Amino acid sequence: MRCLSSFSVFMLASAFSYSDVNITSQLDYEGTGYVENSKIDESNSTSFNHSLSFNTEIYSEIADGQSVTFKPFFRWDENDDERTHGDIRELIWHKVADTYELKAGIGKVFWGVTESQHLVDIINQTDGVESLDGEQKLGQPMVQLLLERDWGNLDLFVLPFHRERTFVGKEGRLGAGLDYADGIYESSEEERHIDVAARFYTYIDEFEYAVSLFHGTSREAAVGFDLIQNKLLPYYPEITQLGVEMQYLAEGWAWKFEGIVRDGMPESSLNGFPVVFDGINLSVAESDEYFATTAGFEYTQVGIWDTRIDLGWVVEHIYDSRSSDVSPTTFDNEVLLATRWAANDAESSILLAGVLLDEKEGDYSLSVEGSTRVLQNMTMAIEARIFSPNEDSQLWAFRDEDFIKLTFSYYL
Amino acid sequence: MLKTIFVSSVLAVSCAMSFAQTPEQKGLDIAVESDKRDQGFDDSMVSLRMVLIDSKGTESPRKLRIKALEGEGEEGDKSLMIFDTPIDQKGVAMLTYTHKTKADDQWLYLPALKRVKKISSKNKSGPFVGSEFAFEDISAQEVEKYKYKYLRDETYDGKDCFVVERYPTDRYSGYTKQVAWIDKEGYRPLKIDFYDRKDSLLKTLENKEYKKYLDKYWRPNISFMRNHQTGKATRLEYKDYEFKVGLNNKEFTKNSLKRAK
Repeated sequence: MRCLSSFSVFMLASAFSYSDVNITSQLDYEGTGYVENSKIDESNSTSFNHSLSFNTEIYSEIADGQSVTFKPFFRWDENDDERTHGDIRELIWHKVADTYELKAGIGKVFWGVTESQHLVDIINQTDGVESLDGEQKLGQPMVQLLLERDWGNLDLFVLPFHRERTFVGKEGRLGAGLDYADGIYESSEEERHIDVAARFYTYIDEFEYAVSLFHGTSREAAVGFDLIQNKLLPYYPEITQLGVEMQYLAEGWAWKFEGIVRDGMPESSLNGFPVVFDGINLSVAESDEYFATTAGFEYTQVGIWDTRIDLGWVVEHIYDSRSSDVSPTTFDNEVLLATRWAANDAESSILLAGVLLDEKEGDYSLSVEGSTRVLQNMTMAIEARIFSPNEDSQLWAFRDEDFIKLTFSYYL
Repeated sequence: MLKTIFVSSVLAVSCAMSFAQTPEQKGLDIAVESDKRDQGFDDSMVSLRMVLIDSKGTESPRKLRIKALEGEGEEGDKSLMIFDTPIDQKGVAMLTYTHKTKADDQWLYLPALKRVKKISSKNKSGPFVGSEFAFEDISAQEVEKYKYKYLRDETYDGKDCFVVERYPTDRYSGYTKQVAWIDKEGYRPLKIDFYDRKDSLLKTLENKEYKKYLDKYWRPNISFMRNHQTGKATRLEYKDYEFKVGLNNKEFTKNSLKRAK
């Protein structure tokens, strides 16, 4: 009898939850102020830029162990047409079975442990117009099989469609002052080339590690020039990438390492473009194998000065075996020094301030990012960046792009 | 009559036992008994409203759910916490593997970045999501995590209690000691005083409105933690406790963090 009643309660609860659709939405206002006029494009007189974005997450359990998530995204930007864009961040079916998990649709996956950049992370394309740090990603069509075993986790991916990276347009600040042409692919199947990837990850006590392999169209483009359209030209080569992630936690120290070996990327320089398209011929520089690493630590002091504030120190070294003139935005030999403050207050206030130093070029850039909750359903975030490139540096054009960005996020 | 004799003989035996015991042994015995009475729950689920109260009395509520899986043999309990509010933190989840003798393993999932981060065990003394509860206060209380000393018997809130001091064995604990009032009837912690590293009274936890589930497992409806040094407080209101739901290990893995809803 008791069994029967608990069974019916279970059925009722199931029926209820299956018809249950969970919706959360977020509306962001973003205002960005630039201190000086642009030197990249003198005609760009934008000193303040408004932007709005809208995010929704619709989640529903459709059957026992099966769910569907839908996350559309749209941004409107006052000045930059390239930044006014929409995307399906996720539209994915997820099945959890006894011995495996299966996902199919448009999804998002993150790989990595370091803070300054995410070298290993390659499944999703960067939504480059969204932020300077490249942490916003475009939805990636995928079939993902997850195997969780005693010996660790193995994720296998089939990625049937390549997304082109988004770039700041001509009217946007912090861009190249030129528009980008549509990308050109090495693969004759272009964006329909089927990419594959696998990642194994596990942990032994305080040591976590992952090894990943990717074969397919690069997410990072070799940037060239289209002489006919007078536009920058992204070229997406076929690459193979081996990635390693490691993290070891000990006594408040988190030691972190990410490394990649990549084959197939054209060796390039800004002075002689790696890719030139003159309307008839496409010339691409030779490709070479290269490696890149991010290594460092984060040290956290819990409750400094008898307060509830946690203070973290982040030090990371970035290395890229290619020459520094691959592109002005590629890190080749730099150091990040940052400090992270967590107030542990009711408003979840945090602050991250850092400096990125390029030892060789003598460049540095400062950044401050903070956020706090201003209302039950509203948060505020601030981001400020100061660029201080050396006169001989390729970043010299960015010297007057310093900005302060304020974002209010309203949750409905 | 027979019952009276039985009760008095039990009393006599337990008195005799207590004479033979050191305060340390008796303190440990109480902790072991308390742990024993809570064994066999297998797994549990509960909804929780956490109300942060500042020194002016302003309340800031948040909602979360906790799933727990009882450890087998030498393994400690596993728990999964999922945040529903504040709404900007929705979907944030924390997985804890409690260990009896070594430091706990803990991972945090940040849904916006799809990132799982391991939390340093040194962080255990830090505040849990801005509340007056430290990470170590909300993790499973394994017997091995403390050394004990029975102090005295005392009546608290109308109930006969053992007063037991316990000393955290983990050097990263934020406390030098805790003093717990454990009621003799149910072996439930009714009140705990927390002493900071300078050995001064930091916080007091009161567990109220205990309810018995499955005729065996006592759980409080309300846990109230007051910080004496800042005047702030946090109230936990538990709702819809369920036991033996049939949760298994697969629901307490790093992967499961990402699908916690």
